[in-house]
Amino acid sequence: MIKRSKSMYGYYLVWPALLIYTIFFVAPAIIGLFYSFTDWRLDRIGVHFIGFDNFHKIFTDDTLLLAMKNTLIFAIATVVGKNVIGLLLAIALNMRLKSRNFLRAIFYSPSILSVLVISIIFTPMLRTEGMVNKFFDAIGLHFLSQAWLTNPDLVIWTVALVAIWQSAGFQMAIYLAGLQSISKDYYEAAMIDGAGAWKSFTNITVPLLLPALNINLMLTLIGGLKVFSEVFVLTSGGPGNSSQVVGTIILRAFGEGNWGLGTAINTLLFIIVTLIAIPLLIFMRRKEVTE
Amino acid sequence: MSFSRKLALRNYIVEIVLLIACLGIIIPLLLMIFGSFMTSAEVSKFQIRFPDKWMFSNYVTVFKEGGLARAFLNGMVITGVSAILNIFTSSAAAFILARRESKFSSFLYLFFFMGLIAPMSTITTIRVVQWLGFYGSVTSVILIYASLNTAFSIFLYSGFIKSVPKALDEVAFLEGASLLGVFFRIITPLIVPVNATVAIMVFMSVWNDITIPLYFLTDSKTWTMPLSIYNFYGKYSRDWNLIFADLVMTSIPVLILYLLGQKYIVSGLTAGAVKG
Repeated sequence: MIKRSKSMYGYYLVWPALLIYTIFFVAPAIIGLFYSFTDWRLDRIGVHFIGFDNFHKIFTDDTLLLAMKNTLIFAIATVVGKNVIGLLLAIALNMRLKSRNFLRAIFYSPSILSVLVISIIFTPMLRTEGMVNKFFDAIGLHFLSQAWLTNPDLVIWTVALVAIWQSAGFQMAIYLAGLQSISKDYYEAAMIDGAGAWKSFTNITVPLLLPALNINLMLTLIGGLKVFSEVFVLTSGGPGNSSQVVGTIILRAFGEGNWGLGTAINTLLFIIVTLIAIPLLIFMRRKEVTE
Repeated sequence: MSFSRKLALRNYIVEIVLLIACLGIIIPLLLMIFGSFMTSAEVSKFQIRFPDKWMFSNYVTVFKEGGLARAFLNGMVITGVSAILNIFTSSAAAFILARRESKFSSFLYLFFFMGLIAPMSTITTIRVVQWLGFYGSVTSVILIYASLNTAFSIFLYSGFIKSVPKALDEVAFLEGASLLGVFFRIITPLIVPVNATVAIMVFMSVWNDITIPLYFLTDSKTWTMPLSIYNFYGKYSRDWNLIFADLVMTSIPVLILYLLGQKYIVSGLTAGAVKG
């Protein structure tokens, strides 16, 4: 009986999804692996195997190295910023506040808008004479009045701040869903046992919030390493090349016809994301409390 | 001070802090909304205030000069078709993967799951689409979006389908129903809420995206809203009133969807937050 019912579920229903996913996502990734080792270019007939030349170029070219450093800065800054702010907002908005629903909606709202919309709004605001600096000057915090988009040392951090502004509310919503799934009974039991607020937080909230923390860390980390639109719209990688990230460098390589090199950068990004994300995923799965 | 008074005071303080903080979210959005109704000279001061005269004509102008009507339709077609395609293929696949408990099915699940992690290989995807002979077409973009969203959708669907008792299918099989019959008559009606969640999530990510159109839509006739706006922004960078009107126009569909579909978004987020 069990055997028969198993065979009832024919794999042919998996085929359409598998086909689309394989042709348009997996196959390009595998083909990319091969092209990474070639001199594939727009203006050259034929493709030749050139070994590790592309990768050698990536690790010796200043702009490409800077792009990788910026990608890491952006990823780490946004993982920390989005999660810390998102978690704090979720804890605060899980309290019995009168304007709770209004505040939740407001903090969540930027994350439904296009990155393009947010980046364009912030462009005039972040100019030297823009609204952000005027605000800091007005409240006397002159040291915060900065050349946000034109200072080469600052610009990638500015982009990260805009990204945090946009989607900390999304992380908040996931943390809120996690907080609301924790039964009140645990807190009552802890209170009866004489546990204080901090003890309840570390011994009940944190362990039971791990699935939410897990998914948020993964989403923000992977999203951070794949960053493209924020930089593309806010700075196009400038001033100079000071805010280039891997995503914008690939577009540039594509535009210049350097397809082999662009593909190699993509392969490297694939390796970096996989090497960071998969061990983290396995580690966090083990830590989760199973009920 | 009693415990409950202390708690009430703490809540007041938190609430006041949050209300001040939310101005930081509201002000930039108001800058865009008010600015979209101002004259070109008025908006370039970038101040938060009501327009002297509400220029609704800005919206007419961007529709005429920015070619927004066309971009709006393109966006609707691309977003709508890729969402529907994704819903059908992913839910069918997740149904089988959730029901079969073999090594091969868990391998397939992991194979799809990798799509949540791995970055897309853009340049070689262009190559594949060229080989297939439809580079630059709307069809190629629809299929690419369907493939990019497969991983997440299968993840959502299989979590939900696993909670549907297998006994339901078995009874139907005993009564002589086919696999497709079971899928469409028993599973599909039960997963309507997940369909809504997937539809909204896919719609929002596809509608807002600029990356895929940038690489794959070579003809301006096929552009979606974000790409048209990006180009308009490059050309008319002095007329911020028109740029802001553009931004408001592209935000309206997702805003409506958010207001109508809030509970489905929350259930999608909850699936992620609780199941991990």
